[in-house]
Formats: sequence, C-alpha cells, structure tokens
Amino acid sequence: MTLPRGLARLWPRRLGTQMMLVMALALLMAQAVSALLLWRAEMERQHDITSHQIAFRLVASAHLPMRAEPGGPQPDHPDAGWGHGGPPPPSLLHPGALPMLGPVPENFDHGPLARPQAAFAPIPGDIEVPSAEKAIRAILAEQAVPVAAFHIYRRDPAHDPDFQRRLATRNAIYHGHPFPRPDHVLVAALQVAPNGPWLVTHVGVPPNDPRLLATLIGQTLLIYVVLVAAMALIVRRISRPLAALTGRVNRFGAQGFAARDVVGQIQPAGPQDLRLLIEAHNAMERRIIALLDEKDVMLGAIGHDLKTPLTTLRVRIESVEDADERRRMAHTIDDIARSLDDMLSLARVGRPSDPIEVTELLSLVSSVVEEFEDLGAPVEMGDSGRVALPLRPTWLRRALRNLIGNAVRYGDSARVSVTREEIPATGRGVPQRWAVIRIDDVGPGIAAGDIDRMMEPFTRGEPSRNSETGGAGLGLTLARAIAEQHGGTLVLANRGDGPSGLTATLRLPIP
Amino acid sequence: MQKKTTPDANPADSALVRLLLVDDEAALRDPLATYLERQGFAVAQAGNAAEARNQVENEAFDLVLLDIMMPGEDGLSLCRHLSETRAMPVILLTARGEATDRIVGLEIGADDYVVKPFEPRELVARIRSVLRRANKSPGDGATDEVFQFEGWRLDPLKRRLTDPEGAVVAISSAEFRLLMAFLENPRRVLDRDRLLDMVQGREAHLFDRAVDNQVSRLRRKIEVDSRNPQLIQTVWGGGYMLAADVRRVATQADGAA
Repeated sequence: MTLPRGLARLWPRRLGTQMMLVMALALLMAQAVSALLLWRAEMERQHDITSHQIAFRLVASAHLPMRAEPGGPQPDHPDAGWGHGGPPPPSLLHPGALPMLGPVPENFDHGPLARPQAAFAPIPGDIEVPSAEKAIRAILAEQAVPVAAFHIYRRDPAHDPDFQRRLATRNAIYHGHPFPRPDHVLVAALQVAPNGPWLVTHVGVPPNDPRLLATLIGQTLLIYVVLVAAMALIVRRISRPLAALTGRVNRFGAQGFAARDVVGQIQPAGPQDLRLLIEAHNAMERRIIALLDEKDVMLGAIGHDLKTPLTTLRVRIESVEDADERRRMAHTIDDIARSLDDMLSLARVGRPSDPIEVTELLSLVSSVVEEFEDLGAPVEMGDSGRVALPLRPTWLRRALRNLIGNAVRYGDSARVSVTREEIPATGRGVPQRWAVIRIDDVGPGIAAGDIDRMMEPFTRGEPSRNSETGGAGLGLTLARAIAEQHGGTLVLANRGDGPSGLTATLRLPIP
Repeated sequence: MQKKTTPDANPADSALVRLLLVDDEAALRDPLATYLERQGFAVAQAGNAAEARNQVENEAFDLVLLDIMMPGEDGLSLCRHLSETRAMPVILLTARGEATDRIVGLEIGADDYVVKPFEPRELVARIRSVLRRANKSPGDGATDEVFQFEGWRLDPLKRRLTDPEGAVVAISSAEFRLLMAFLENPRRVLDRDRLLDMVQGREAHLFDRAVDNQVSRLRRKIEVDSRNPQLIQTVWGGGYMLAADVRRVATQADGAA
C-alpha cells in the first residue's frame, strides 16, 4: 500500500496501533451510515406523525358536527356558525345526523380540531410543502374525504396567530412554565366541497431532537471502547509472541550461526497460527545447529585425516639425501598445509569455537610483525598507539598474517600501524570508535577494477608470480571474513594516483 | 655475545632420553619414531591410550609425545592422567590450530604442543626445550602463582599477560621467558649472558638475534612509551633491570585462575 508522504508519516507501523486505527475508522464509517439511516427514519417517522396528526384533524373535523374549539376567542372565523348548547350543528359530510355515534355528549372534548373558515389564504413567508401535501391527500383519499382543494404551508411560529393564541393560553395555565417551542408550524387547509368552507388546522412541528446526535456519538464511543478492549487482548496475544519471535530471529541471526545449542529458544505462545510458526522456527533452528555441528565434525575429520598423512610425508622427506630436493618438497607440503588451513578456517570463520578476549591490539599486531621479522621479511611498525578491545586473538593473527604476507609477497615490503579513529555522532547515530590497522606496501598495487575481485575466494594476484607464492587464493577472503566476524571491515585501496603502493585497512569496532 | 644452539647437532647428549610416542596412525608413528631415533632418542610407541597407560606403568619416560585425536580415550584425557599421576613432560600433537586446544592443552598439564603438519626439526627443538626446562627447574612455567607488578599480571600457567586495564597483551614464548626472568629477579641487574642463559627456549634460533632485540620487543608491549622505558631499564655496562616491585599471588587465593 502506498500512501502520500504526509499520510505515510501518520500511518502507525505496529500491528496493534494499525488495527486500532483501522477499527476506529471502520467503526466511525459504520456508525455514520447507521446514524444517517436512523436520522432519516426518525425524520420520516416525524413526518408521518405530523401528516397523520394533520390528516386526523381534517378527517375528524370533516366528519364531526361543527362546533367551536373550546376555550378562547376565535377571531379569525367570527362567522362560523357553531358553539355550545342547542342541537349540534350538522356535520360537513353528514348533514343532520351522526347515525353511528348518536349525539355527541356535552362535555366531549374533541381536542384541537380543524376549524372551518369561510376563506383561506397563505400569509407572506409561507412555504408550500409538497411532500406533506401528497401524504395527507393519500390519507384523505383512504378515509373517503372528498377534497375540493387542499394546501399545506410551513410557517414561522412567530407569524402564526393560532400558535400565538395557544401559547398565550398555555402560559396562562402553566404560569410561564416553558414548553417546547416548535421549529415551525404546518398550516393545512382543506376544502371539502367546492366553494364550501375551509377546514384549517395548525400543527406545531417540534425541532429535531438534539439528543439524537449525542446518543449516536455516545453509542459509537461505547462500542469503540468495548471493541478496543477486546481487540487489545487479541492483539496482545498476537503481538507479544511475534515480538519475542522477532527478537529471537535477530539474536539467532546476529550470532552468525555461532549458536551451539538451542538455549534461549522461545516457547510457543499465542493463537494456534503463531504457535505453529514458533514451533516451525524452533525446529528450523535445531536443524541449522545440527547441520553446523555436522559441518564442524566433518571439517575436524578432514583436517585430521589430511594433516596426519601430510605430517607423515613431512617426516619421510627428511630421509631424502638431496638437500635442495628436500627443501622443495618441504615447501610444497607447507603450501598444501597452508591452503588446507585457509580452507578449514574459512569454513569455520562464522562459527568460531574460541572465546573473545579483551586484548591489547598493538601487542598482537607487533607479535605478528615480529614473526615476519624473524623470518627476515622487510616488515616494520609505523607510528602506533595502544588500544584494547575484545577480539579473538587466534583469528585476528591469521588475518594479519595473510595481509602482511600479501604485502611482503606482492608489495615488496610492509609497514604496519595501529591507530584509533573516532567518528563523531551524526544524526541519531552514536559516536563510533574504531581500532584501525593499516598495512602499507610499496608494490604496484591492484588495478582499480580488480580490487573487489581480489576479495573473492580462489583469486590470486599476477599469475606470473604464483609459482613461487602458492596458496589457494583464500588469504584476502579469509582476512575479510575475519574482519566481519569481529564486526569490522577490510578495505583495499591504492595509494595516490600512480602505482605507489596498496593499503589494506582493517577496522575493528571498539565497543 | 650470541650463543648459537643447534638442536640436532650432537645426538650424544640425548642418548639416554626415552620418549613415548602415542598416535593411532601407524603410518605416522613408524617414520617419526625412526626419525627421532636417528636424532638420538630412544623411542617407544603406543597406538592408543590404553597401550600408553600400560607402558607408563612399566617404564619411566622422560617425555611423552601425545596425539590429541585418537579413537577411544583421547589425548587430552590421557594427558590429564599423566600430569596428575606422574611428573612426565607432555608435548601434544594436534591437527587443530584453534586457541581452545592451546589453552586446554597447557592447562591440563601439557608442556607444549605442535600443530600438524610440523617440521620434524621443530619437534626435536621443542623436545629439547621442554626437557631442558624440566631438568632445570621442575614446574617452571607451571607454578600455581601469578605475578603482579605495577598493575600488570602474568599467569605463568596460561602464559597470559594482562595490562593494568585487564586487556590481554600478546607475547611470544621468548618474551614470556624473558619476562619471567625479570619477574623472578626484580630490581636486580641481569646481564645479557645471564638473560640469554635463562631465556633460551624452544625458539633458540630466535636468539641468534641479540637479547637487546627481545628486550626492545618486550618493551614495545609493556612500556607506556617504549622510547623512554620505565619498567625495564637499561643499566649502562651491565644489562637490564626490572624497576618494579613484584608480588606473587597464589592463584587459589586470587580466585581468578
């Protein structure tokens, strides 16, 4: 998934937070949709209620005998011929009688019904409401109320005289106790017979309930909290074993397969899928270790089985009379032994069996240089300082012997120095300290393009010189592998532009 | 001033030396025994550890040459047995060159080791060197004490020198013996002949070079400034002197053995 840069920065990296965020977004969307649906249903319900209320009043008023709405003057229809006492006036639909119901009792309160008016006209500011008109017309048709003309308007309560009158009445009864002010008033006017009176009713429509939104938000939050808690439990069950496994894989990898046993393996935990993964990983570790053990045994056997006959040969050539011939034979045997050593070392370099010791590097380098001095090789120490660091002395000696040997062989002479190097912290990094061993020769160097190739196994310098030098071409490969075994680097570089010599730089980290 | 030692020049002085060669490879054992006999040693052979145990029961040997890798009981185990029960010097023959063998071999009582394939002359030189040390001072180089001087510490058993910060300082066998000579005679002037005599070891050929060279090498490793030496001082006309107090500490008490 690719995201724009700004968004990518905000996108969390860990499984847990990602799940929380995705879940929150999904929940928000789901709740928004459901809130919209709820709101629409609520609006429709509200419309239905209002429509039915209006329709009920109109139908009832059309059926019932005409009478005045109880209480209060009726200034907007003074000519309406109905009131208390006397025979009930005829209904608009059934003049003369209400056969099913009989006479209406005196104290019967019909509630707010539509009042007949001689004429009806909208006041300025009224807005037609076609949806309500359609709904009410349908109900009227259902109730068999003939419709000659029908209008419905939405009106501001402040401009509605009927509402203002009722407000005044209510205030009188409840002594100013506040009662919900409608959002608007719907004014419906029905004319049953052409040119007949208008039945007019005013219905207050309450404002949308603000609690609806609050309820929705509260509900969303509650669901989210419950879900997050549940999810956190699941995520924890997944991410803890995952983190443990990651740590283990890193440690196992960092050991460079030097692990000799399965100490520190993690126990399978978490959901079944993860358990299986951890078990598979543990099994793989065991197989890798078994494989490496097997390799070590094999290398030991190869070493022993080849070195013993070599030793025999070496002893036997002592009886060769010709001293020159004997010398050459001994030389060949030495070459074979050295190549064998290099190969065995290279195979073992990633899995050394000897311990790391804090060692003073200058003394170690000096002692290797002295070995060469004792053989009469032109090797000298340059300006150096003491520096102690943890290392594997046997391995480092081997690397130094190879590098100095190369310098003497191909570069005529070697100058070796040990210094300290500090790389100041850059950015978030910590300052790095290195012990630097430099081996300078004064030979022709290596063609720039060949330097990398020289590090590859079984590569040797100028072929013309090989007959004398021997070796399997593993010296540099092994030296670099040993540098890496110590977490360091080996770099070969020509000095200057011309063939003024080659410098091998071996850097080892000082913790 | 220089004394030359030629290891195999006079077989006569080895006439009475009896060696036991333990190696499972008859192909190596036979020619090696022949070679050693020609160098003037009396050589008995054993093909495995059990045979070797039998032979040492019945006969006293001056030195045992012991192969590490043998089927059955291996060389290390036999070496431990030999060093615990008899005062017989042991030289290990090993096909492996890693440090573990080195440390383990010397710790379990071997006096030296050679890595296969070794040069026969080198082996003879080492045999003589071990015998010389064994005759001169029994237990030399294998005492239970460690030496401490100016914060430095030398464990003769492990041939391990550590500086005041605790870092291991690499020294050669010759430098080790030179340092031992100084540590056993602190604040005493040792002239060159005396030093050469005390130090002559298996790398006798190295001492073709002057003692001065070895001293300067040792200084390079233990002096803060080898051009202005403080620990090993040159005495005009005389020789050298260790200008430091030396404490001998028993390894058991030291607890860090």
